[in-house]
Amino acid sequence: MSTGLLILLLLLFPAFGAILLAGRGWRLPRIFTVIVGPGAVWASFLCTVALWFGKTNGDFTYYTWIKSGSFDVPFGILIDNLSIFMCFVITGVGGLIITYAVGYMEREDDPSYARFFCYMDVFVFSMLLLVLADNFIFLIVGWAMVGLSSYLLIGFWYQRHSAVVAARKAFVMNVIGDVGMILGTFVLFMNLHSVTYSDVFNALSHGDNGNLELAAFLLLVGAIAKSAQLPLHTWLPDAMEGPTPVSALIHAATMVTAGVYLVGRMHPIYDVATYAHAAVAIVGAVTALFAATIAIVQVDIKRVLAYSTMSQIGYMFLAVGIGAYAAGFFHLLSHAFFKALLFMAAGNVIHAMKDEQDMRKYGGLWGQMRPTAITFLVGSLSLVGVIPFVGFFSKEQVLGLAFSKPDDAMVQVLWAVGFATALITGFYTGRMWWLSFWGKPSPQRRVEHPHAPPPVMMIPVAILAILATIGGFIQTRALGFGPATVDDFLSSVVGNPAWEGGGAEIAVTFLTMILAAALFVWALYSRPWSAVVPWAQRLLERKYYFDEAYHWAFVRPTDWVAGFALRDIEQPVIDAAVVDTGIVARAGAGGLSLTQNGYFRNYVLVFVGGAVVAAVILIVRANS
Amino acid sequence: MSALNIGGSQLDTSWFLLLSAVLFVLGSIGVLVRRNPLVILISIELMLNSANLALVAFSRQLLNMEGQLFALMSMTVAAAEAVVGLAILVDIFRVRDAEDIDDLSELRG
Repeated sequence: MSTGLLILLLLLFPAFGAILLAGRGWRLPRIFTVIVGPGAVWASFLCTVALWFGKTNGDFTYYTWIKSGSFDVPFGILIDNLSIFMCFVITGVGGLIITYAVGYMEREDDPSYARFFCYMDVFVFSMLLLVLADNFIFLIVGWAMVGLSSYLLIGFWYQRHSAVVAARKAFVMNVIGDVGMILGTFVLFMNLHSVTYSDVFNALSHGDNGNLELAAFLLLVGAIAKSAQLPLHTWLPDAMEGPTPVSALIHAATMVTAGVYLVGRMHPIYDVATYAHAAVAIVGAVTALFAATIAIVQVDIKRVLAYSTMSQIGYMFLAVGIGAYAAGFFHLLSHAFFKALLFMAAGNVIHAMKDEQDMRKYGGLWGQMRPTAITFLVGSLSLVGVIPFVGFFSKEQVLGLAFSKPDDAMVQVLWAVGFATALITGFYTGRMWWLSFWGKPSPQRRVEHPHAPPPVMMIPVAILAILATIGGFIQTRALGFGPATVDDFLSSVVGNPAWEGGGAEIAVTFLTMILAAALFVWALYSRPWSAVVPWAQRLLERKYYFDEAYHWAFVRPTDWVAGFALRDIEQPVIDAAVVDTGIVARAGAGGLSLTQNGYFRNYVLVFVGGAVVAAVILIVRANS
Repeated sequence: MSALNIGGSQLDTSWFLLLSAVLFVLGSIGVLVRRNPLVILISIELMLNSANLALVAFSRQLLNMEGQLFALMSMTVAAAEAVVGLAILVDIFRVRDAEDIDDLSELRG
């Protein structure tokens, strides 16, 4: 098979799957959906493996989509180590999650079941298009299509009002980002006269620096919206209304990390646009801390995970923002492992608890759901960053590189923020695990004896648990020795940072772990902190009043303008004009219809009368 | 001015026109006041004939044959019109027993 065809198949398998399911899937037996839905993603995974073994590299152009003067948009696929890396995350972790969904979505009726897998395949296709595109136009197409499939999947249970509202919110937020992307592309095209990556990056030295900064900031808007970073983050917690596999795939492992991919892919631009680059790091660090604090008080298990996702993506932004691109992508990979694991293990619990998501109503599951509890613990330890789980190596590398970046005071501050976040991460993760699995069953628990998850749900979780446990050993650079697989793999695309991660940072982190544990124990066994500072609890429970602020700043004025237009423009002016025209026409017709009374005599009388009048006029004029 | 001798006296054109006008007015009044469709048709014929008379009278006065030709033509047209009008009337009578033309006022607005 030729390489070009293989690449095309990698991209198109999920699209074929979606088309099959959309067309006939729900009318055929359920086994058809079960094979086609996950099968399409696994087929893409095999293509990725084949390309990886073949060490494929290059820019494959299939045809010219638009050609108009200097505006030239080819449909091209860029295969380099970064896109192969992303394809591995998308199809590998994605395949596991979609396989898991076979069990999780079991209670849906046949049409919804097929619809779910159809949407999931659409998502995987869009995400692959996003990472494989070799130009900005197809990047934007993929970018918008992942937003669409995210919308469809958040609103999957469309009978639920809250799900529909959440889906709409996510879509609007994402479109703000899409607009940023499109404007950024305009700016780049106006300055550099091309939309393909290679041409743009080659021409960067001719670009005007101010314009490059502008373009980089606009692209950052897109990245922020997609990755749920401040201040466009409010859609992600609400997106938890979607089914749990959706949260695992889209809102933890893949789509929300697209912003990190974007910054990494555009690194030649960000290397030049230093202000925008610094903004990436600042946004990341601030979001990491901000989201972690909110996660402390959330009681919905999926919302805790959503805020921790925002927080971890903040770390990735911090990494790519300081120029440690490979470290950011390593954290992306490790986060895909452990966060998908956490979501799917949480899904097992939610499934067993009859869709209850409030952690306060769990409790005591350690004895009753032992395998799930263990895997969740593995995910939690990885999220906190305990040796030797994968999260330790990736987070340590990010923090270590930030700690030791030379001659940059701002990055030192950001390191401190990230460090504080790591502390809080330990706190809220411990609280989550403790509330759900330890202690006695909560009196409000609805299910006395939770059922064990079926193998189709347990096996993907177990695989991810293994990956989260040993995956870190592919890159132990945080410890200063051992392999650096991800760094070496990606260095051909994003290069290596010019400095080494510091060893001193490791010692500090060990102290953090101890401190976090102490804090945790203190919080559990002493007076609850929320009783000490109730205003802080309220502030966090209201999520720093972002939703309220947006409501007052954007929703209310829009409502007011719309209401004003309706009450004072639409109804009295436009509607009234139309209605009045009708009234005039109707009255005129009524008046004229009196003359058409159907009596022959009347018509003759008018006719004769007219003739007489005409004759009189003629006679008078002739005689005068 | 040419003249026609009838009983030894010259008859002026205005007499013909006067007769024509009287006939026309009678016809119009007939159309206006009578209710029987058949009578209305007859009244219309009367008006047509008054017009013919006027045409012929002017033709005699101006010594021009065109007026008489035109009268012949209008008679032909009147015959055709009578055929069509009577056919419509017969049809109306067949569908409904309408002796009063005021009963046929369904097309009012």
